[in-house]
Amino acid sequence: MKDIMRIKCLLSSDVETLINQQIKKEAHSSAIYLSMASWCNRNGYDFSADYFFKQAEEERLHQLKFFKYLLDMGGNAVSPEITNVKGEYNSFREVFEEALDQEISVTQSIKNIAARCYKEQDFVTIEFLNWFFKEQREEEYKARRALELFEVIGEEGTGRWQIDKHVGSIEYTEG
Amino acid sequence: MQEITSLPTVHFQEVFSTVKGAIYQSDDECCWYIDFAGKLARFDYRNLLKLKKAVYQIDIEALLLNSTKAPDLEIIFICACDHCYVLSLLQIIALKELLQGTFVMLELNHILFDRLYRIVV
Repeated sequence: MKDIMRIKCLLSSDVETLINQQIKKEAHSSAIYLSMASWCNRNGYDFSADYFFKQAEEERLHQLKFFKYLLDMGGNAVSPEITNVKGEYNSFREVFEEALDQEISVTQSIKNIAARCYKEQDFVTIEFLNWFFKEQREEEYKARRALELFEVIGEEGTGRWQIDKHVGSIEYTEG
Repeated sequence: MQEITSLPTVHFQEVFSTVKGAIYQSDDECCWYIDFAGKLARFDYRNLLKLKKAVYQIDIEALLLNSTKAPDLEIIFICACDHCYVLSLLQIIALKELLQGTFVMLELNHILFDRLYRIVV
């Protein structure tokens, strides 16, 4: 009897489901960043708004990368429905705290897919995921650094204005 | 003159069966035949997965607990597929069991292929 399932698709249904969940997560992430950009812009933090616009774009690209991978491997990529996007924040600092939380949760969720792949010995997907792990190193660094600025510069006086000015110039260079 | 008509022959192997029905695979056509609810229906790869999704999504528990007077009929309609099922609750349970068994068997077949034929000895 032919192994039709494998002929049609490289991925197991579990990995396919996990990647579809990840697509949703990345899309949600992108929507949250867009919402953060909106909040920052409305409250006068224009540089931070630009930073979050860029982040939203990046998350969208991650989503598409997962989406295309699923299709290329013969799987079924599902365009996700995005709900529950927070629109208001209590403070400038809270925005960055939530941005870091978001990145940590994305890293964790990709780790979870990799764990499943190791169990199944799906080395093809693991190799694909490695790009994302490298990317998460940068994303987490940037989010952590942004939050650090609140400590280093301080929010008093023109602190928040200074922080906003520096957020855009955060860069990660592999040492 | 003698007229010779040759009927197309379809070879298929049983993947899984229960008392209520059976699923066969045809290697030549790369598809499955489902013998259930009084008909034999052909499903290709995409449609079989869609059927699986449609059946698995039915909340059997909710239907069991539902005390309204509506008949417990469920219509399983799959996009771009020639077949449609109108099933009672008991039939849904039977179809789900049939599909679950089938997917376990297909998974087993996949493991056997990987271990026996796809590894260079």
